[in-house]
Amino acid sequence: MYVAGVDVGSTATKAIILDENQRIVGRGLTHTGANVIKAAERAFAQARADAKSDDYEIGFIVGTGYGRYKVPFGNTQITEIGCHGKGAHYLFPETRTILDIGGQDTKAIKISAQGEVSDFCMNDKCAAGTGRFLEASASVIGLTLDEIGDVSMRSSHPLRITNMCTVFVESEILSHLARGKKVEDVLRGVNNAIAGRSVALMRRVGLDDEITFTGGVSRNKGMVTAIEERLERRVNVSPDSQFIGAIGAALFAWERTQKKVGAS
Amino acid sequence: MILKAEDLGYSSDVCGYVKNDIGLVANDMTGPFGKMAKPDLLVCTYSGCNTYIKWFEALAAHFNCPLYMFDVPFSRGPETHAADIRYMMSELKELIVLCEKITGKKYDEDKLKDILRRSREAEDLWVDILHSAKRTPSPFDAFFEAVFFMAPIYVLRGSQECVDYYRAAKAEIDARVVSGTCPIPEEKFRVVMEGPPPWPHFRTFWELFKTWGVVCVGSSYSKVGGIWDFGFRHDPERPLESLAEYSLECYTNYNLARRVEMLNRYMKEYNADALVIHSVKSCRAFSMGQADMREVFIHDLQVPTLFIESDLADPRYFSKAQLKNRIDAFFESLEHQRIVAGKTA
Repeated sequence: MYVAGVDVGSTATKAIILDENQRIVGRGLTHTGANVIKAAERAFAQARADAKSDDYEIGFIVGTGYGRYKVPFGNTQITEIGCHGKGAHYLFPETRTILDIGGQDTKAIKISAQGEVSDFCMNDKCAAGTGRFLEASASVIGLTLDEIGDVSMRSSHPLRITNMCTVFVESEILSHLARGKKVEDVLRGVNNAIAGRSVALMRRVGLDDEITFTGGVSRNKGMVTAIEERLERRVNVSPDSQFIGAIGAALFAWERTQKKVGAS
Repeated sequence: MILKAEDLGYSSDVCGYVKNDIGLVANDMTGPFGKMAKPDLLVCTYSGCNTYIKWFEALAAHFNCPLYMFDVPFSRGPETHAADIRYMMSELKELIVLCEKITGKKYDEDKLKDILRRSREAEDLWVDILHSAKRTPSPFDAFFEAVFFMAPIYVLRGSQECVDYYRAAKAEIDARVVSGTCPIPEEKFRVVMEGPPPWPHFRTFWELFKTWGVVCVGSSYSKVGGIWDFGFRHDPERPLESLAEYSLECYTNYNLARRVEMLNRYMKEYNADALVIHSVKSCRAFSMGQADMREVFIHDLQVPTLFIESDLADPRYFSKAQLKNRIDAFFESLEHQRIVAGKTA
């Protein structure tokens, strides 16, 4: 019996299908857009197609992310904080601290050796230091989110970006560019600003052990480097880092089916 | 009311209570409960928060009436200083002279003693109600219900109506104990709540906790108008002295160490599972130090602690989705830890 996790984020919706041995057999990824229910259905259909699982029964589905109650086919909902903890623990069992930077949230999560959440901190009511902040910065320069990581890596003299407001940062970037500053130095400055804020958030939950970086922003190599430089140590980043919430949700779904099997 | 005050130039960061009041004054003294009379004298004690100083100065300027401002020494150590009590008593004596001058009536100490006797009677009953939360399951929510139950002791203190109210309330709680009635159908988590409630979204906020079977067994906001549950009572035999002590023994007049100690006492004596800090954007008296308080409880005292933010009066700072996410994640993990602990035990 297969299980699934669907993570409806503010920017992207992710779906994961696991087989009975907790192996990832299907992935789905789509823009969330305005219709959250459609996005959940789309990501799930993609994951099913990827898993070629039309013949299999999906035994249990867990919805997570800010749109978790908009997964009409989900059996239950679990917060993305719990799911990121579970997913990161699955991929990197020694992880104790997780940094998740998504479209509108930045979270620092502390987990136990068993992958249970013991503490968490989040940014509040402001997009400073989130994916949206990066997106705003990228769009001023005329680049896409996927391009800015590589560009920022070419920087030799990173600038200091002082505005943490997503709206005001655009004018700060424009004024740097008007003064002839290089695009890569501006972007590296943006990454460094977010890294500083993120590390401060992680310090609030504790920074003693292995760290895993998750969420859409972890695909940006420039951000990973900026955070590693700030922390002076390496952080785990999985090729599936954007899917970690969905993986965690699917693992919770798998646990539910085990309980069912045990009970019957 | 808030928008009216902001129209007058009060910033969005000014306390929501202040702006409600200023808005009411600007609204021809009329609020949802009717019209208020113009004062002959303003009396202010700011142990609740030092914002009261400027608040009442603004009111005095508006009404063009005398203002007596109690200078309240902040709690500087683990206990209240005797010198501070003497100082507050000297201020009370000053106020008596001022009142005699304004009203033309003589101060009647016997009348004050009667009032304090009735205050004490109500205080005894109120403390019985608060202590009922020590039971498992608790018959009383010491935050969500207490912040309503506390109203008469603040606005009708010393009156017979106030005593009657607490007698009836105590009878209700006793009846709940007998019938096994609780504020929530099934008590799963016992928490101590720090900070004021978000009044405009009170019900929504409570429901976010009820979903998880959370009952509050202790809270700090229900003590902002007086801390009686550790033994203090107004004493008719020492009228001015006990009034002075009362004024100093206010939660928001406590330093951070005393606040932490009081909350930790609630954690232990009421057998609580977790601490919830509801930080309030426009309330300096409460929010100051709460980030450090969180650190102390999580790291030093090993108490699971949830930190959430909105506002006590301004509905614009209440974001249900964000609060729900944090509250769900917190109790989800507490529940999961319990299941895992149950399995290994």
